[in-house]
Amino acid sequence: MLSNLYPEVPLQEKQRLFDQVKADPRYESYLYGCYECGICVAACPSARFYDFSPRKITQTMAREDIEMFYEHLNDDIWNCSQCFSCTRCPRQNNPGGLITIMREVAVNNGLKSTKEALAGYTRIIYKIMTTGTQVSPDMLQEDAFPDWGPQVKEVASHLDLWRRALPPETLHTTGLSWQVEERTMLELYTIWKLTGVLDMISELDEGLHDIMEEVMDDALEDQGFTVG
Amino acid sequence: MTHDRILVVGAGPAGLEAARGAADLGKDVLLVEATDQLGGTPYAHYATLTPYLKDTHEAMGPMVEGVQTHPRIDVRLKTRLVASQGEAGQFVVTLQDDRGNQAQEAVGAVVIATGFRHFDPGRETQLYGYYEFDDVITLVDAEHMMQQGKIVRPSTGLPPERVAFIQCVGSRDRQIGNQWCSKVCCGIASKQSIEIKRMVPEAKVFIFYIDMRMYGFWEDQLYWKAQEEYKVNYVRGIVTEILKKGDKLLMKGEDTTMGRPVELLMDLIILSVGMEPSQGTLDMAQQFHVPRESHGFMATVGEPLDTVTTPVAGVFVAGAAAGPKDIEDSVSMGGAAAVKAVTFLNRLSQQLA
Repeated sequence: MLSNLYPEVPLQEKQRLFDQVKADPRYESYLYGCYECGICVAACPSARFYDFSPRKITQTMAREDIEMFYEHLNDDIWNCSQCFSCTRCPRQNNPGGLITIMREVAVNNGLKSTKEALAGYTRIIYKIMTTGTQVSPDMLQEDAFPDWGPQVKEVASHLDLWRRALPPETLHTTGLSWQVEERTMLELYTIWKLTGVLDMISELDEGLHDIMEEVMDDALEDQGFTVG
Repeated sequence: MTHDRILVVGAGPAGLEAARGAADLGKDVLLVEATDQLGGTPYAHYATLTPYLKDTHEAMGPMVEGVQTHPRIDVRLKTRLVASQGEAGQFVVTLQDDRGNQAQEAVGAVVIATGFRHFDPGRETQLYGYYEFDDVITLVDAEHMMQQGKIVRPSTGLPPERVAFIQCVGSRDRQIGNQWCSKVCCGIASKQSIEIKRMVPEAKVFIFYIDMRMYGFWEDQLYWKAQEEYKVNYVRGIVTEILKKGDKLLMKGEDTTMGRPVELLMDLIILSVGMEPSQGTLDMAQQFHVPRESHGFMATVGEPLDTVTTPVAGVFVAGAAAGPKDIEDSVSMGGAAAVKAVTFLNRLSQQLA
């Protein structure tokens, strides 16, 4: 096919990454065959806003078009919102699931485009992996969310007061979305370490990985746990 | 006086079933076939049948034998009908064998089952180079190879690494004058793609199509099967041109669902040629004064509820003489035509009695 946006990357490297996706145990039940009906695109919220097509990604994988696969891996997979509306597929394909696998391969291999795509999410990754909550009130700063309007600055400067106005005491937090039990956090750290999720981050952002590893190891050690 | 005998012209699936059906209903049947064997186009030219991929001779064997040995069926091979006179109940036809000997026969009703011919891909300017490049072949050429248990590049005699089918060659084309879908080519190409992958598992196989028309059970029996189990690549877009590049063929077209032009190198390109009325069908239409419908096939009256009755009393049609048909349709029409022809003769005798 006439598609080669990444001529500097050797075909063997593209093939290696493709083979990793295909070797995933989920792959076989995520991809049967595509007859290009477009229902996945019709259902896809991202397709309305980006030049993004779950159909093309599925077709590319079915056709084993290595060059196009590498383009999708770099330029398209992070436009998916992982809502899985595309699973309405009459052939029972799972385009969103294929993208999940592709994302994992992209992260595990530390692709430059993946690092760039995820650079803005460093704080969120740190927050969710070290606290178990994703977006905390103190992240709502005007520099981070300029599109949220002028009130953000005012709210941010009296955050503690606003939060204490909320009835449930568990929400009187600024550094966390809500209070998290220490035991829950320790379980979470154990999961990240044992499943290899923490290791995945090292390919993406070594600094972030090291900081999180230290937080987790210290907390586990304080309670007398050794994991891994 | 009504002649209580039915003439069947053509011994393909439709003609065989018409002959067997009419004979089983108690009529004498005269079965006339131009070639030297029973079974028609599939039997002569197709290694296996769609969609079950069964060996054609094995699958059709009992049908052929049943007709050959039927006491009420008079089979005339290598024989053509060269003249017809008279009318319903009292046709007198002139038959001529391959040595030029003529004989006159009297029959009461006629079933025409003279079938189709494959579109000749060199006849119109399709830029596919069928007569120019050894490795551009048709579905029928591929079947001939498969009858010998192989699929190879004619130029080298070696198995192909990359194979492409081009669909709708000679079908669905106003410029060529064939505005119909030939019905079976999508299924046959898919069937062949499975067979090629079975014979040459490492080959890459592509099917370039306008629409895939895999009606009924062919959908998962052939289309999904080829795609899912055999990893055949279906690409929506018709190839515009084939060029020679080194010892390969360069195909140019558009991948319409991916929205980009494609240029691919192939070892073997198979043209999915469609159906046209056979010479026999044209001749019989003339001999029996049966009008041809707008596409040029034999006209029927009473569609869609009567598929076999022509506007000429006592003359019925079965199979692809009446338009593109698969084998199921042809055989069903053969049975229907037998019943109609037998009933027609019975009523005619009663009226005259």
